[in-house]
Amino acid sequence: MKLKKLVSLLLLAALLTALFTGCKGTTDSGATSTPDTSVTTPSDSTDSSGSGGKSYDKTLTFDIYDVAANYQGMQSGWFRKVVNDRFNIELNIIAPQVAGEAIYHTRASTGNLGDIVILENADFADCVKTGLVKDITNEIKNCPNLMDYKEQIDVYNKNLPDNDAGKIYGIPCQMTNTSPTSYSQDVVYSSPLLRWDLYSELGCPDIANLDELLDVLAAMKEAHPTNKDGDPAYPFSLWPDWDGGDGMMGIANVVQLTTWYGEKIKESLILKPDNTFTTVLDKNAAYYKITKFLNNAYRRGLVDPDSGTQNWDSACAKMTAGQVYLMWYSWQVGFWNTQDRLREGTAFIYIPVKDQLYYADSDTYYGSGRVFGVGSMVDDEKYQRIMDFLDWYASPEGLTFAHNGIEGFNYTVGADGKFTLINDNALMDNLPVPEEWGGAGYQDGNNAINQWIVDAISINPNTGEPYSNQYWSTYKQATMTQMKREWAEKFGAAEPVEYMKKNNVLIVSPNVSVSIPGDTPDISVIRSQCGDTLNDYTWRMIFANDDAAFDAMWDEMTAQMNGYGFDKLVEYDTERFTIELEAKKAAMN
Amino acid sequence: MKLIKDRKKAQSYLEFLYILPFILLVAVFSYYPLYGWVYAFFDYKPPFPLTMDKFVGFKWFISMVDNSIKVNQLLKVLRNTFAISGLSLMFSWFPMVFAIFLNEIKSRPYRKFVQTVTTLPNFISWVLVYSIAFSILNSTGAVNTVLMSLGLIDTPKMFLQSSEHVWFRMWLWLTWKNAGWAAIMYIAAISAIDEEMNEAARIDGASKLQIIWHVTLPSLMPTYFVLVMLNLANFLSNGMEQFFVFQNAFNKEYIQVLDLYVYNLAMGGGGYSLSVAISILKSIVSVLLLCLTNSFSKLVRGEGFL
Repeated sequence: MKLKKLVSLLLLAALLTALFTGCKGTTDSGATSTPDTSVTTPSDSTDSSGSGGKSYDKTLTFDIYDVAANYQGMQSGWFRKVVNDRFNIELNIIAPQVAGEAIYHTRASTGNLGDIVILENADFADCVKTGLVKDITNEIKNCPNLMDYKEQIDVYNKNLPDNDAGKIYGIPCQMTNTSPTSYSQDVVYSSPLLRWDLYSELGCPDIANLDELLDVLAAMKEAHPTNKDGDPAYPFSLWPDWDGGDGMMGIANVVQLTTWYGEKIKESLILKPDNTFTTVLDKNAAYYKITKFLNNAYRRGLVDPDSGTQNWDSACAKMTAGQVYLMWYSWQVGFWNTQDRLREGTAFIYIPVKDQLYYADSDTYYGSGRVFGVGSMVDDEKYQRIMDFLDWYASPEGLTFAHNGIEGFNYTVGADGKFTLINDNALMDNLPVPEEWGGAGYQDGNNAINQWIVDAISINPNTGEPYSNQYWSTYKQATMTQMKREWAEKFGAAEPVEYMKKNNVLIVSPNVSVSIPGDTPDISVIRSQCGDTLNDYTWRMIFANDDAAFDAMWDEMTAQMNGYGFDKLVEYDTERFTIELEAKKAAMN
Repeated sequence: MKLIKDRKKAQSYLEFLYILPFILLVAVFSYYPLYGWVYAFFDYKPPFPLTMDKFVGFKWFISMVDNSIKVNQLLKVLRNTFAISGLSLMFSWFPMVFAIFLNEIKSRPYRKFVQTVTTLPNFISWVLVYSIAFSILNSTGAVNTVLMSLGLIDTPKMFLQSSEHVWFRMWLWLTWKNAGWAAIMYIAAISAIDEEMNEAARIDGASKLQIIWHVTLPSLMPTYFVLVMLNLANFLSNGMEQFFVFQNAFNKEYIQVLDLYVYNLAMGGGGYSLSVAISILKSIVSVLLLCLTNSFSKLVRGEGFL
């Protein structure tokens, strides 16, 4: 008996030790790195953050409720070291994308969403109303870097409901220092992107419309039915797990493609080039057209049969392995194009389709639709530190870390002060970071907040060039390859956007700051039911075997969505988005 | 006399304390959550707290059956729930038969091997089961590769995307995952059968099959009935994980069961109030089903199990 008791006590002790040492792992590493922190803090924080000789003796942990994050937990690695050296803080990221939407509900009902909150505009307005967000009117005046964006911040906050006094609650995300109507990108967000080698192999045919695009893709597939490893390749490989996101009803792979015809989906509506609204169910609008286009592609055997069941990771693996011949997101080429492939001429690049008219949102001068705020429950000490941190996060130094990474590891600075990109696969291949910057992999230590106060297209005052490395003069020089020269010669422009502007096929929709009301409970049910119906039917229509089946499904879907109250939804959305449209019209004049 | 009575009373109060922890547990984990039902009677939207001006009465219950499209959708979901539960009820004898046959295997290592292999899938999560299914059944997966190299098909067959035999295929996956685990109960019951009965049957000249039919099966019947009754009460809750991972646009019409529907509605679209209203109805129907099976059991076996 005694022995048994002893054994069980020992076991218990072992268990508890294991438990506590398990937890200690992270604190330990924090403690070991503290000594060198305390050495660097004073000098670093004074000359870089501009907060002037404040002491940050006590380590604080910021809980960041962050809708943009796709990592949940403590920030680690090099970015942790950067912020810890400057502010003696730890960042604890709370990510609804990881934890599920329910965490918003739970945390909001306790009255404390987080110390820093990053929310979508409509949710942010709700949180201001319920008192979850702090009024930062007085303190933001002492933040010189944030004050550079005073105009945008003021406009955003004045538009918050019931805020006629103009108090400041939120700081919009991804503001730029360009202008609300300018368009600084070289490539639009969505356009047909083809492999240059496969396209030139066919003799660079002119493409008049979507049917001819399918002809070209079919010829590519016939010439190269597999990739180099012998795995089957398809022009289209779709994935269903992003459906219904980004404030657009319908499946993700269709909604982006509607912008090829100048039509932008706004929830249940489509904004047409003539600035009028129609619904996604309009058979003359682009949602129908693009679904039909994908169906035609399927019937010609150009769509990966796994499209409806694979997840993003599988689709992504196929892009990286060269099993996909058409891409349409500007960032998607990142899974294939490297400086080497640009040199070889096997990279993806925009190929014009003659009947297309591209829609693009202008520079996000007033913000991208998300907002930073400070939680209402923070105490004074933490509040001060948060404002210091946010101000640094919007400073050229903070932005260089957030957008460009580490000097000497991600880029070098030339004699003229211009940056040159090095280790351009640091993120893709998770390269090890030098020990002096905290070690570990680059991707592991990458900024987990994943959201910026100032957009990468903004001009860095220290270099006179945008933060985004694709726009550095050194990068443009390095990527001015044979392929790029051939492309420029054929289409008579240096960059895709230049071509579009020259040929008058680009609509730039100005960036405005308006507050669009969120859904009522009734509307959110209708939206969810209609959205699910639209997604399910769209997938089945893409895989329809003939026109009759396609149209029968479209009609069935229309009847079902009307039964769920689609009319009410359209009415509600028209009311909301007319506010935005009017502001855009005003901005254009 | 009075003293003794009081002592007895005091004793019984003390004994009551023994079950107090369990009552507390049940209260906290089974009754307190029922408070959440109030959400069905409000227009609820986070982060706004519930206030009386958002009280809407039975609005969400009525909106469920507003028009024929919505009724049809609900009926479809119920049809799927009943079909999938009904199928597993129909084949509920399967683990029992499996256990009996397993028990007949004479080679002990082989029997243990079979038992382990069939029990293991129970510990694999549904998410992993789906990734296994996807890697075997996708267009370049093992099954399609074999079928194509044998010349049986010339284009890959989309198993996961087909809307045919969804209920049966779901039952197959469930059985693959659960049969071995469910058989454990029956294996235990078989080992509890009096060896003398088997011997007596053998002496009387009964064959192997006759022993199974006349001795083993009747002895397993009480266990079987209890399990079936418990399943019946759970008729409406066939869980959602399995259907959640296997659902896609093509099979949703057949795979969306009640639990999945509630999840998709609340977590996918923020329709919390309507979801709660549906789950309330589900609870009510479940209680009715339980009472029904109980009285059925009383009628057939002469005793209920409640």
